[in-house]
Amino acid sequence: MKPEEIKKMQSPLSAWLVKHGLVHRSLGFDYQGIETLQIKPEDWHSIAVISYVYGYNYLRSQCAYDVAPGGPLASVYHLTRIQYGVDQPEEVCIKVFASRRNPKIPSVFWIWKSVDFQERESYDMLGISYDNHPRLKRILMPESWIGWPLRKDYIAPNFYEIQDAH
Amino acid sequence: MTVPATRKDLMIVNMGPHHPSMHGVLRLIVTLDGEDVINCEPVLGYLHRGMEKIAENRTIIQYLPYVTRWDYLATMFTEAITVNGPEQLGNIQVPKRASYIRAIMLELSRIASHLLWLGPFMADIERELIYDLFEAVTGMRMMHNYFRIGGVAADLPHGWIDKCLDFCNYFLTVVAEYQKLITRNPIFLERVEGVGIIGGEEVINWGLSGPMLRASGIQWDLRKVDHYECYDEFDWEVQWQKEGDSLARYLVRINEMKESIKIIQQALEGIPGGPYENLEVRRFDRTKDSEWNDFEYRFISKKPSPTFELSKQELYVRVEAPKGELGIFLIGDQSIFPWRWKIRPPGFINLQILPQLVKRMKLADIMTILGSIDIIIGEVDR
Repeated sequence: MKPEEIKKMQSPLSAWLVKHGLVHRSLGFDYQGIETLQIKPEDWHSIAVISYVYGYNYLRSQCAYDVAPGGPLASVYHLTRIQYGVDQPEEVCIKVFASRRNPKIPSVFWIWKSVDFQERESYDMLGISYDNHPRLKRILMPESWIGWPLRKDYIAPNFYEIQDAH
Repeated sequence: MTVPATRKDLMIVNMGPHHPSMHGVLRLIVTLDGEDVINCEPVLGYLHRGMEKIAENRTIIQYLPYVTRWDYLATMFTEAITVNGPEQLGNIQVPKRASYIRAIMLELSRIASHLLWLGPFMADIERELIYDLFEAVTGMRMMHNYFRIGGVAADLPHGWIDKCLDFCNYFLTVVAEYQKLITRNPIFLERVEGVGIIGGEEVINWGLSGPMLRASGIQWDLRKVDHYECYDEFDWEVQWQKEGDSLARYLVRINEMKESIKIIQQALEGIPGGPYENLEVRRFDRTKDSEWNDFEYRFISKKPSPTFELSKQELYVRVEAPKGELGIFLIGDQSIFPWRWKIRPPGFINLQILPQLVKRMKLADIMTILGSIDIIIGEVDR
């Protein structure tokens, strides 16, 4: 594809959002041509409802990662649309960034129920707390664990072997 | 277990991490009113091994033995997806023969997984035949470590294709026998029909995938939708049912096994010759005669040798595993280790619907429903 064509091709959801004047930033296309949108935590709830109404009825996966040591934490949602007899369905990837000190993101459990366990896992592993989630507690680690294991600055407790610097 | 004094008391029963059915270590806290289930809360994490954190410190070749431990019944799928991610990132072509071999292995693995789901007392003999086939090719019955970036690790041995065709023919007769034995059995039907019903809309909202989705009337199979590997060249149908109860899921899995045999037979007939691995990947930038390789310097760190580098992009790859949609969200850093390796396990997401399904069912139905969801704790907990 020529570079000019790539620039003009915006995902339909992004075009729709722009038409309705909603603030979001496009983070470009990932490797397969799926557009990534960046949303602020305050807008996330309304944009999630809008995506559902637009037709994205299947939330494939929700994950979280930390962007850089000392940087923000990101919560990533992959949405797609399940329809009868569709080939190469539309997909979109939405990232919501939260600050490291006080990571709070509204939960979308009441829109797509499949994030129930997945948001619990993001909370468990990275400490992002999701508002309005019905039962946000640790799921994979024991309830009494302290610390957020998947953060890059996590130190495993009582682990005294010689660690090699990579 | 406490005995209720009056009928109004709700009894809370703990079906502890170890129980005789072979799902693995899953703890269910069940609130009962007599025999009816009011609520059920699954407690996970007994098999959590930190696979995602480990992946951030391993190269792909080093990580491949770990991935077979997620879903240890359908191991080829975990390997396939681990290898597909970097392949797509690095734009590596897979030779045709390797693609066919992969498709055959994946379908055999799907049959093995569905057979184990079917019941150990019925299907062990056939599963052992499949494991023998795997052992002839990869050297191991279960934890294969067979897939590599750009193809497979070794070619099929001489005479394997004939053995596989024999197995396919034998298997079709055996499946017909199972169907006669089970599907018309009134005891089985009574336990399974109408138990654990989910509607089509709900299934999508809960994010389920795999046979659970297809048993509720939604024809969504990633092998058809995504056109990955070489599934387009075979002639097969997506199996689906409409009712959404445990019987429908059972029928979907049995029919999927038959479709898999069809695919394997077509692949075996049409397998092309050629290379089985893209050997270009193995060529790295090695500096010649580095003085650090001399005997005077000793390596005391675990720094791995220069190997396949992941570019700084993100990717979400998925395959249609027998349990559902297995996905990997891979964020590459310009280095040999990934920055984030998120596993999207089908069992984890399919398990979310358990509390809703068991409401108003009897205590004995919990096991039936849990069996029909077909989870495996190795990938739920990772």
